[in-house]
Amino acid sequence: MSAVLTMARQELVALRRERLPLVLLIVFVVMVSVSSLIGWLTNTTVSNVWQKTVQAGLTQAPNPFADVSPLYYARNTVIYLVLIGALMAIVVGVTSTMRDRKARTLDLVLSRPIAVPAYLVGKLAGIGAWLAMILAAVAVISWVSISLITSGPLAPGDSLRLAGFYAVAWVLLLAFVVLGMLSGIYASRETTALLVPISIWSIVAFVLPQIGTSANPVSLLNPVPSAKIPGGAFDTLNTVVSPLSVTEQFKTASGLIMASPEVTGSLTPSLFVIVLALAVGAIALLATKRDRIRGALRD
Amino acid sequence: MTDIAIHTSGLTKSYGDKAALRDLDLTIEAGEVFGLLGHNGAGKTTTVNLLTTLLAPSSGEIHVAGVDAAVDPNQVRRVIGYLPENVQFYDNLTTMENLRFFGRLSGLSKPDGRIREVLEYLDFTGHDHERVGSFSKGMRQRVGIAQAILHEPTVLFLDEPTSGLDPEGVRQLRDVIVSLNRDLGMTIFMNTHLLSEVTKTCTSIGILRQGELAYQSSLEATLEAFPGEDSLEEIYLNIRSAPVS
Repeated sequence: MSAVLTMARQELVALRRERLPLVLLIVFVVMVSVSSLIGWLTNTTVSNVWQKTVQAGLTQAPNPFADVSPLYYARNTVIYLVLIGALMAIVVGVTSTMRDRKARTLDLVLSRPIAVPAYLVGKLAGIGAWLAMILAAVAVISWVSISLITSGPLAPGDSLRLAGFYAVAWVLLLAFVVLGMLSGIYASRETTALLVPISIWSIVAFVLPQIGTSANPVSLLNPVPSAKIPGGAFDTLNTVVSPLSVTEQFKTASGLIMASPEVTGSLTPSLFVIVLALAVGAIALLATKRDRIRGALRD
Repeated sequence: MTDIAIHTSGLTKSYGDKAALRDLDLTIEAGEVFGLLGHNGAGKTTTVNLLTTLLAPSSGEIHVAGVDAAVDPNQVRRVIGYLPENVQFYDNLTTMENLRFFGRLSGLSKPDGRIREVLEYLDFTGHDHERVGSFSKGMRQRVGIAQAILHEPTVLFLDEPTSGLDPEGVRQLRDVIVSLNRDLGMTIFMNTHLLSEVTKTCTSIGILRQGELAYQSSLEATLEAFPGEDSLEEIYLNIRSAPVS
């Protein structure tokens, strides 16, 4: 069995036994599962109010949910991925590289015929497989929930869009896993190892999107990108800064994939930024030297 | 197949300006149990880390079982077993899960049968599905030996193997070392502080002093060469305290 496969397998065994990733996983799956329900409740409530308003003769406007796409019910998942999913990915990444440093098992591992890149790629592959299984399960939950809400199976086109959305989510989460893994390697203390990538995530998800936008904090919790102020210095600033916010790019990509009417533009730039974030992180990870990963913790 | 298990020439390791090991020329024949002695900071662990390819030398050459460590470090890793000082495992995994991992890393595709064989050889059965986190130091050391010999290495490196063990554990480990050498013909290289263990297990010794090899000979020749000394301890202290040339 190749060293990469052995490391990937070991990572899956270890992930099954660790508590924090498991807790975050449960929270994530529950949130995603209820997101369709929340969408359905919103739809039902608004439709009921609309019906009563029409019956009272107070409006003749059409039901705002009449032409809504079935994928509307999955859109809250976007924000759960950016918030809980990314946090879970960081924790899993940090835990992965920190585990051997904490347990002081690195000398045993590195005395076996395994190169450092194979060791790290194996870990990443294991986590990638774990995330793929989770996202596949969540995708099935979403598909079933939407099919139940709309009283019929999701159309093949929409099913493909849903699958595409989760595929992009997998790439995004892997980028955060790599960030966590790097921090687990380079940090001298366990607390710092968690704090640094979480700070970076906060900046990417909450600070960067505000720069040059209408600076409405609530908009960050929406599953669609923040509203921009057209023209002038703010617009220019936003053009420069927005590509750096991978999470906003994910919101844009998700909106376009799931055909949200609020999101317009081309999918390619957003996808490029997300893939680039993963690629840059992976290159930094593969450039790690043997002496670096053997670095002792100061805890 | 070579008769020389370990050979180093001019082996040096420096950290900045400080040399941890200087010009180590060492030859250990196959089938020996070699004990490397020296005070704390003499360079014993650095030597083992270099020989096991965990560290890259600043200069010099290393050959293990005829393989040049600079040319093919992975081949060196295939032919060696290694037990670090205070060996640690994944505490939340069982003995089997830990050993499966290290067995697979060592190239065993289906390690379970071999793991059972080794655990039986080490008289450590019945703990396969217990988590390593609940083990005593002595039990961990057994699992450590098991992971080191799973792939039937030619050369086994033990770094302070008796450190922290109770007298019973020390005796058991000594028996294991002797039987590995006798039954399986493994060359064993060990760092140790316990001179009594060296007398009971080693066939040859080396003494490191301030990063330099001050002495190397067979145990028998050493005891004969110092007729006035009662024990290896006195010989060791004499060599250690002699002025560095």
